[in-house]
Amino acid sequence: MIGPNGAGKTTLVRVLATLLRPDDGSLVLAGAPCPSQARRARAYIGYLGHDPLVYPDLTARENLELFASMYGLGDASARIDALLDRVGLLARSLEPVRGYSRGMAQRLGIARMLLHSPPVLLLDEPYSGLDVEGARVLDEELVPAAGHTIVAVTHEVDRAHALAERVVVMRSGKVVDDLRTAEVSLAELERRYAELVGAVAPT
Amino acid sequence: MATSQTPPRLEIAVAEPELAAVPRVGWRGPLAALVRKDVQLELRTKQTAIGMVLFALVAMVIFQFAIGSRTDDATPFAAGIIWATVALTAVLAVSRAWAAEREGRTIDGLLAAPVGRGVLLTAKAVSIFLYLLALEIVVVPLAVLFFVESAAATDLAIVFGLCLLANLALAIVGSLVASLAAFTRGRELLVPALFLPAIVPVLIAAAGGTFSVLGGTDDMAELRGYSLLLAGCAVVFGLVAYATYEFVFDD
Repeated sequence: MIGPNGAGKTTLVRVLATLLRPDDGSLVLAGAPCPSQARRARAYIGYLGHDPLVYPDLTARENLELFASMYGLGDASARIDALLDRVGLLARSLEPVRGYSRGMAQRLGIARMLLHSPPVLLLDEPYSGLDVEGARVLDEELVPAAGHTIVAVTHEVDRAHALAERVVVMRSGKVVDDLRTAEVSLAELERRYAELVGAVAPT
Repeated sequence: MATSQTPPRLEIAVAEPELAAVPRVGWRGPLAALVRKDVQLELRTKQTAIGMVLFALVAMVIFQFAIGSRTDDATPFAAGIIWATVALTAVLAVSRAWAAEREGRTIDGLLAAPVGRGVLLTAKAVSIFLYLLALEIVVVPLAVLFFVESAAATDLAIVFGLCLLANLALAIVGSLVASLAAFTRGRELLVPALFLPAIVPVLIAAAGGTFSVLGGTDDMAELRGYSLLLAGCAVVFGLVAYATYEFVFDD
């Protein structure tokens, strides 16, 4: 999803993550109508917002152990080790997150999001604050796999075109364009985006 | 969200084998993990318990100057002093109950997990209960020392029994108020405005029960009556929390 500031992208992702009740319409996530069966739907979702959504005064390992319990993973130490290794934080996993840089904390946020191997990933500007290593890890995760769905909000039209199968353009709370990236070039997407959202070109 | 004559429908489909792989989440594991997290955070940061104890000590010193120096025997006031101190200090515990989750909106991570809202509320009630118990372990013996002429060890034990009952009611209503107000802008005003009036029956029963023990009357019938009232408050607050917990975290 791309669009200018105030287009409603974050609101839509929060609705999809069942953090907000929609004013209107209906939402079905992995076969579970929301909000009536939101709890069941949440088991299928991995959500990463602007912030990593971890406790700064806990260590990376303690954070992941807490969230493993929240997803009913039982003994998840092997999974936690593997994820910490994957995001490059294994060596510093016993340090409080407060001492991490913004990029490291966001990498921990990626590990938290992937902990329960969710088939649906919801990402709200996931590259904001990420360092090069974190962006590389996230790029690897955002390769579409069979049976998986990834919804990501970004301001970067070129990255959206490179990673997504489908690009939705939002403006003033409405979907104003819905494109298959296989059918449009990056230049065409950028031109249409500029036309739809006004003179402001994407950054 | 955009509105139109035909409500929008958004469906995210996932292949069936992926759905089957997701485990069901109970309540015991998440509840224990959330309480353990609150204890870990408090032991590490010491931001709430120490503040509560200092506040309580200052409150008792103020009571000492306001009441203690005006009378030879402050025993009749001891129960009131204990529970006024606990009530005022409990406001701190309730106000700070979700402080860690407010930082960086960590609460979103918890709310996005497949755990019932009731588990989040119960975990916070358990944490508030523990804060209050830690406070009373300091406040009750000090209050007895400063304000009560003579008290036996059994009297202290009975008072701590009353503390457990009162804490149950205070923790339930405290958790509910904290969850309602924690993420609002005016929470500093909202928490005391909602919490203190709601706990008046608890204060009446706890102070009455404590007076019947420490006041020298040793009226067991009165103590039983106040204990029942405390238990009744806990049940009523529990029912209110049960009826509303699904909605307290709605934006």
